[in-house]
Amino acid sequence: MEQVLCDLITALRGSGVRISPAETVEALEAVALVGLEERGILCDALSVVLAKSRTEKEIFRDCFDRFFSPDGFIASGERPPLLADEGRRAADSPLSRMLLSGDPAGLSMAMREAADQAEISGIYFFTQKSLYIQRILRGMGVEGLDRDILRLTREDPDASQQKAGALRAGKAFLFEQVRDFVEQQYVLYAASAREAIMERYLRDMKLSNLEQRDYERMHRIIQRMAKALNDAHSRRKKEARRGVLDVKNTLRENLAFQGLIFAPRWKSKKVNRPDMMVMCDISRSVEAVSRFMLLFLYSLNEEMARIRSFVFCSDMAEVSHIFEAYGVDEALMRLQKGTGLGVGLGRTDYGQAFRDFKETCLERIGRRTTVLILGDARNNYGAPETGILSLIHQRARRVIWLNPESPPFWGTGDSEMRRYLPFCTLARECSSVSQLERAVSFLVKNA
Amino acid sequence: MGLDLDRKFQGIEDVRKGFEDVGYVCSRRIATTLYLAHHLQKPILVEGPAGVGKTELAKAAAAVVKMPLIRLQCYEGLDESKALYEWKYGKQLLYTQILKDKLADLLEGTDGLAEAVARVHQYDDIFFSEHFLAPRPLLLALQEKEGAVLLVDEVDRSDQEFEAFLLEVLSDFQVSVPELGTIHAVSRPYVFLTSNNTREMSEALKRRCLHLYIPFPDAGLEREIVRVRAPGVPERLRAQLVAFVQQLRELDLKKVPSVSETLDWARVLMVLNARDLGADLIRDTLNILLKFEVDIEMVEGRLYEMAGKAVR
Repeated sequence: MEQVLCDLITALRGSGVRISPAETVEALEAVALVGLEERGILCDALSVVLAKSRTEKEIFRDCFDRFFSPDGFIASGERPPLLADEGRRAADSPLSRMLLSGDPAGLSMAMREAADQAEISGIYFFTQKSLYIQRILRGMGVEGLDRDILRLTREDPDASQQKAGALRAGKAFLFEQVRDFVEQQYVLYAASAREAIMERYLRDMKLSNLEQRDYERMHRIIQRMAKALNDAHSRRKKEARRGVLDVKNTLRENLAFQGLIFAPRWKSKKVNRPDMMVMCDISRSVEAVSRFMLLFLYSLNEEMARIRSFVFCSDMAEVSHIFEAYGVDEALMRLQKGTGLGVGLGRTDYGQAFRDFKETCLERIGRRTTVLILGDARNNYGAPETGILSLIHQRARRVIWLNPESPPFWGTGDSEMRRYLPFCTLARECSSVSQLERAVSFLVKNA
Repeated sequence: MGLDLDRKFQGIEDVRKGFEDVGYVCSRRIATTLYLAHHLQKPILVEGPAGVGKTELAKAAAAVVKMPLIRLQCYEGLDESKALYEWKYGKQLLYTQILKDKLADLLEGTDGLAEAVARVHQYDDIFFSEHFLAPRPLLLALQEKEGAVLLVDEVDRSDQEFEAFLLEVLSDFQVSVPELGTIHAVSRPYVFLTSNNTREMSEALKRRCLHLYIPFPDAGLEREIVRVRAPGVPERLRAQLVAFVQQLRELDLKKVPSVSETLDWARVLMVLNARDLGADLIRDTLNILLKFEVDIEMVEGRLYEMAGKAVR
């Protein structure tokens, strides 16, 4: 039982459920308590002990069903070809005997034992499948079966020939079942491993090179990232500074005790929630990247209480309401197409965008505000309006620019990045999720 | 007492029956969780949408095991002086005032300041003893001799510091008071933590608990709940009203009706002496199920269709 449970936990861990050794021990205790008689109860009990959030519970159900699904021998109802009684006794190897007598439970047991011996939980790549099939077959004693077939074909009488034929058919049947079983195990163990590898790979990939089919996966990575960031930082924490007495507060608190100081009060300072304004470029030049910038923006909007978002191309418009009103796909589509936003999608004009920003909300920028600009600073040789950025820089707590181009390209051609650089507290390249994550982590940590 | 408890928690089916006797209908999953919690002596972290009976579960548990329910409502800014213990400053002060005269007696015959201080030192822990300790819910639950049911309600509202501080209580059933040392539980309380998922709880906390997610009940279970909690409702009406509420939960509403609202509605219909669910009746009583104007408007639009489906 322990081995089975550990394999299940391996599969769960691979699929992203975090399970500690302590929980493994508990799972064993729980199984001992509820017993194995009823599948539903076992599933409930393990789910309570191992899966600790709603999504984890869904993953768990999935894994559990796949893990404890019956294999071909039992489920399919197919039987290995039977032979009349008298021919059976002579067969030598136990495997041949099981095949001839049509014993699905015995075959299933033998296969699972062989699979454990072959350590099937280590399967990661589809190229390993045939290897495992061979190993399992060998573990079940397929060599004995082969020998029997060979011996019987050499012997002459008709009965032996008939039996040899039955055994050959049995072997084919066996091979098929084992192949299905390995396939099933591959899905169970390797799908999850593949997910992890894929994710690591996507994180370092340039956003502009992503393909359509990876979008979905990317959404999940980014959403998780925004959530984690917000969990870690958004709560207004009181940072206690023990050691500095708050005299005024202490006296007031202790008035009730005749001014005797029973309960001293210490000074504390509040850490503020991040207050953000984000401007995102949605022009053609950054089209490939902007989808993810917007996605990230969307996730931030869901998570953070105080954030205002703007998009710009030829001019600028506020889009916070769009994020609130629509689901992620709809919102992103609207933003990228610019439908109903009042944004001109002509030539990118950072100057005009800054002028619009100055008019609408320069006043709102206070000394706690972080201004985040996402864009490549390619201004089509228009007026860059560095003056306004300088104003913003003076009013805001800080200005952060995330540029999808790498620094050597800054300032080349129509890029105005070099001119904007003096007014940015921080300017970073941001072309993959890892870079985005690092930049944002910096951003929130120092909020 | 102990024997009685063992009997109630002998099997999962016994647990389910025990809870049904006190008026809590639980699904197999809930019963399994309670059974495990009893035998593994672990706290249960209950999550789920508002109004599915998370708090009610703890109350029912208290009734089943016949122990007092000690409730700690969490909120932002809750700290250990409100959750665990506090010194009775007033009493300490009063006693020092009263005992001022005693001080003279005590110090009689001492020679010099050093000796006087040394003598006072012999008594100085008196004011930080259990007599001056005001226990708050957590400590109360640990001190209860016969055991207790501790309900830490809406733990997601508390701060992260408080969550960290709960860990000691949950894993070892003990608390440390610096002036007194470690206080162990006299008998282990049953602990329920409820969360509405306004934020994700920390891994460490989750690891120490069994995790139970209670979703909205399916039609069969909800009918059963209505039967037990609102016994006067005729069977026909019960099936109809549950079918209607189940339909509501499928819609994209601002706030979907919870189980407690279903029960309220059932009772209202009973008071109105309703026999059958009709569109007019639903319209007049819809504000019991739905608490937002936009929701009510949306449902009124398709009332006939939904009522028809529910009655069928």
